[in-house]
Amino acid sequence: MQIVKKTQLKALKTARELGPLGVIETLNKKKVVGRGGASFPVSDKWNYAIETKSDKKYVICNADEGEPGTFKDKLILIKNPETLIEGIIIASETIGASEAFIYLRGEYEGLRKNLEIKIKSIVKKSKTNVSIEIVIGAGAYICGEETAIIKSIQGFRGQPYFKPPFPPIQGLFGKPTVINNVETLVNIAQALCFSDYNPDLRLFSVSGAVKKPGVYEFKVGTKLTTVVEKAKPIGKPKAVYFGCFGGCMEYKDLELTPENICKEECIHGAGTIIVVGEKTSIIDMAYIISKFYTFESCGKCTPCREGTIQILLLLKKLRAKKGERKDLELLKELALHIKETSLCGLGQSSTNHIISAMHNFPNEFEELIKKQ
Amino acid sequence: MIKITLNGKEIKCEENKTIYDICKDNDIIIPTLCKQENIAPEARCRICLVEMNGKLVTSCSTYPKEGCRIVTDSEKAKNARKRNTELMMANHGKSCLVDTKSNELCKLLKEVGLDEFRFDKTKNYKQDLGSSVVRDNNKCINCGRCVDTCSKIQEIYAIDFAGRGYNEHVTPYFEKNLASVSCIKCGQCILNCPVGAISEREHISEVIKVLNEKKKHVIVQIAPSIRVSLGEEFGYSPGTIVTGKMVAAFKKCGFEKVFDVDLGADMTIMEEASEFLERLKKGGPFPMITTCCPGWILFMEHFYHDLFDHMSSCKSPHEMLGMLTKTYYAKKAGLLKKDIIVVSIMPCTAKKFESTRVELDSGVDFVLTTREAAKLIKHFNIDFKNLKDENFDSPLGVSTGAATIFGATGGVMEAALRTAYEIGTKQKLTNPDFKVIRGMDGIKRGKVTINGREIKFAAAHGGANVRKLIEECHDYHFIEIMACPGGCVGGGGQPIPTNSEIVKKRAAALYSSDSKDKLRKSHENPVVKQIYKEYLDYPLSKKAEKLLHTKYKKRSQF
Repeated sequence: MQIVKKTQLKALKTARELGPLGVIETLNKKKVVGRGGASFPVSDKWNYAIETKSDKKYVICNADEGEPGTFKDKLILIKNPETLIEGIIIASETIGASEAFIYLRGEYEGLRKNLEIKIKSIVKKSKTNVSIEIVIGAGAYICGEETAIIKSIQGFRGQPYFKPPFPPIQGLFGKPTVINNVETLVNIAQALCFSDYNPDLRLFSVSGAVKKPGVYEFKVGTKLTTVVEKAKPIGKPKAVYFGCFGGCMEYKDLELTPENICKEECIHGAGTIIVVGEKTSIIDMAYIISKFYTFESCGKCTPCREGTIQILLLLKKLRAKKGERKDLELLKELALHIKETSLCGLGQSSTNHIISAMHNFPNEFEELIKKQ
Repeated sequence: MIKITLNGKEIKCEENKTIYDICKDNDIIIPTLCKQENIAPEARCRICLVEMNGKLVTSCSTYPKEGCRIVTDSEKAKNARKRNTELMMANHGKSCLVDTKSNELCKLLKEVGLDEFRFDKTKNYKQDLGSSVVRDNNKCINCGRCVDTCSKIQEIYAIDFAGRGYNEHVTPYFEKNLASVSCIKCGQCILNCPVGAISEREHISEVIKVLNEKKKHVIVQIAPSIRVSLGEEFGYSPGTIVTGKMVAAFKKCGFEKVFDVDLGADMTIMEEASEFLERLKKGGPFPMITTCCPGWILFMEHFYHDLFDHMSSCKSPHEMLGMLTKTYYAKKAGLLKKDIIVVSIMPCTAKKFESTRVELDSGVDFVLTTREAAKLIKHFNIDFKNLKDENFDSPLGVSTGAATIFGATGGVMEAALRTAYEIGTKQKLTNPDFKVIRGMDGIKRGKVTINGREIKFAAAHGGANVRKLIEECHDYHFIEIMACPGGCVGGGGQPIPTNSEIVKKRAAALYSSDSKDKLRKSHENPVVKQIYKEYLDYPLSKKAEKLLHTKYKKRSQF
């Protein structure tokens, strides 16, 4: 696995030799993109922060890995924290930040102590003047959203706000802030350190109806079946979910590229694959995931706050076989409406699982309103 | 300047303007709920959606880029607005049918043409019945305007959001009642609530009950700022002076006497100016701070315990007048104190709390806000617009221009200076106007020389400005503070809508009334002179101290 290869402060040395512009150029050349889901080029994000003049800048490492079925960052935090910390120092020195934060998922409290020890030793060894502080989340899913992280670190309610201004221009405490996720920062260090760095390798968190759930590394474009086979599926899989927000598709021989996945009405996101077995009902899945979003919506904007609960109520009605065709239509309409009008990524993707399920498994929904 | 396409027409617009403002400039009004004057948008309500390059964006928070296409009336945008309104209605329910005048959501229903209600109620909250401000989260649509008002304009932070998802709701900290937290009861949240989820604790039915009691002698007294705002409730434009009709309406309601709180204001000035001159003689403590505003009193009691010695000990004008009604007037009219009921018509919700304070021997039995007063008049089916003007009743109905301007920020200071100067120097002011202390600037400062001594004075209004002025308060001798932006004309009990434009108009009306008055200084008021001669002897006399002054209480922040 490339991701666990340690850079041993060589990446930092290279970065210091190259200087900020050199680092940006290298990252651009090596095609390092964000791994949080949006695949935004790192070099562009950093450039904004470099170009914005300010007396203070910040770097935030997003380690609030809250997406159900995603645990790749946890693996990195356990197996390769050294390279991550090095990545944070590189980011800070490149954009000119003297303070960096690791926003750690509340449920990862157990990893904190080890991280703190590693930070202390690496900061000392690297002779950097960047200070790295761990901020621990309180368990809200929304705090994985970058603007919610900013609010949370500032001590406010962890709620997102609208962009622009984008964080690299105006972020934490109103100062330019670069927010990258754990996998991205490790990739940055590795891209600067190893000449054979491969930007096309992705981490897949595979779970669900499989015998060997875990994190696997594959190239972009690997077939879905290849990835799932590696985790030894139980029985014949029926569908896969790309996390809760990515939606679901039929289990089939599909090359996993963002474009292909998009065609299935899904989003690939952070490499999450939840395998669903033959006997599991898609409606049950929809109900469970809707429950999750109803609970995890922060409540700020109308469509997400009021919409997610209404989706849940509709599914409840349909599951109890008390629904009619108009309820199905309303479910679809509402799902699209929430996607289009919500404020942040959570709301906008909270109904992807419904939209894709209705697209890919229409029969299961029709079944619900059949007259007995 | 950039070029964009707005509804198919190419237009030029400024770069730093939001779509909402650009549309407004082009005579397109986009419906919105959570957008609020002078506060950066949070884009919570998602009502002001428009299409930009095919995608839905909130117009209040989006700045268009060169060449983009904006459509405000596409089916997609209209439907999206409709759906979000429908989602809000799920929990807001039928409360929309009540109090439709101030209910922006009710107006919005018509604007977006909502015709179906397909969603069920999902939550149920207990009402929060405070002493002056009442909250009903069942009507709340989480637009956040009250939270923003409380934290950004007033800087009190009494309420915020708690809970998440569909259970996100506005609440004082630790789910306490509004009555038991450091809320100053200014009622600014009421003015800014678009759905009537926050309102004043109503006392209309109690007042109607005492009006029907034969034995009781019910007296109404009316605050200075009501005469320029009550008209709005009956279709007059903001700033119309309706003193005569107002008095006539209350007489028709069945009140025995209609007294003018302006007289109480003149009494306040006599006491306060004398107190100030006393402090000048004694050398402090400075600054002396006015105490007409009950919101500010609570503000101080909760947050600024070190200012206790600086506060004037004067009761607020309506409390002074209420007390004089029950003592001086009762004696004159041969009535028993227990048979007199005093109802104050105030622009204020904090006054409701004030009249129940234990530290203050209150002469006021009920306080009604401007809005409640209008409801009361409507209750009696009075044709307000066609009433013949009537005058306040004697003896407590004579006022001066100095008292009239109490209703605007800086007015108390100006009135006090007029009297303090003339009593202190025994000279006439050539021009009684202190224009430096007028206007809508957050903090206003000035200087005047009394007996060769330079007196520095200042006035602040709106909680955020108050906090700023308190920081530098030791530079001054005399400070006026009003908790509500604009002073009483912008008070939490005033008609809805109340915004900076309307507040300015109401204030202007007060100043024009003052300038036309023959009597412009409190110490010239003949009734004031009479009261001192017949009853109180002189300002700050023992009797005056007992009836017209009060004490304060330390309250905790949490």
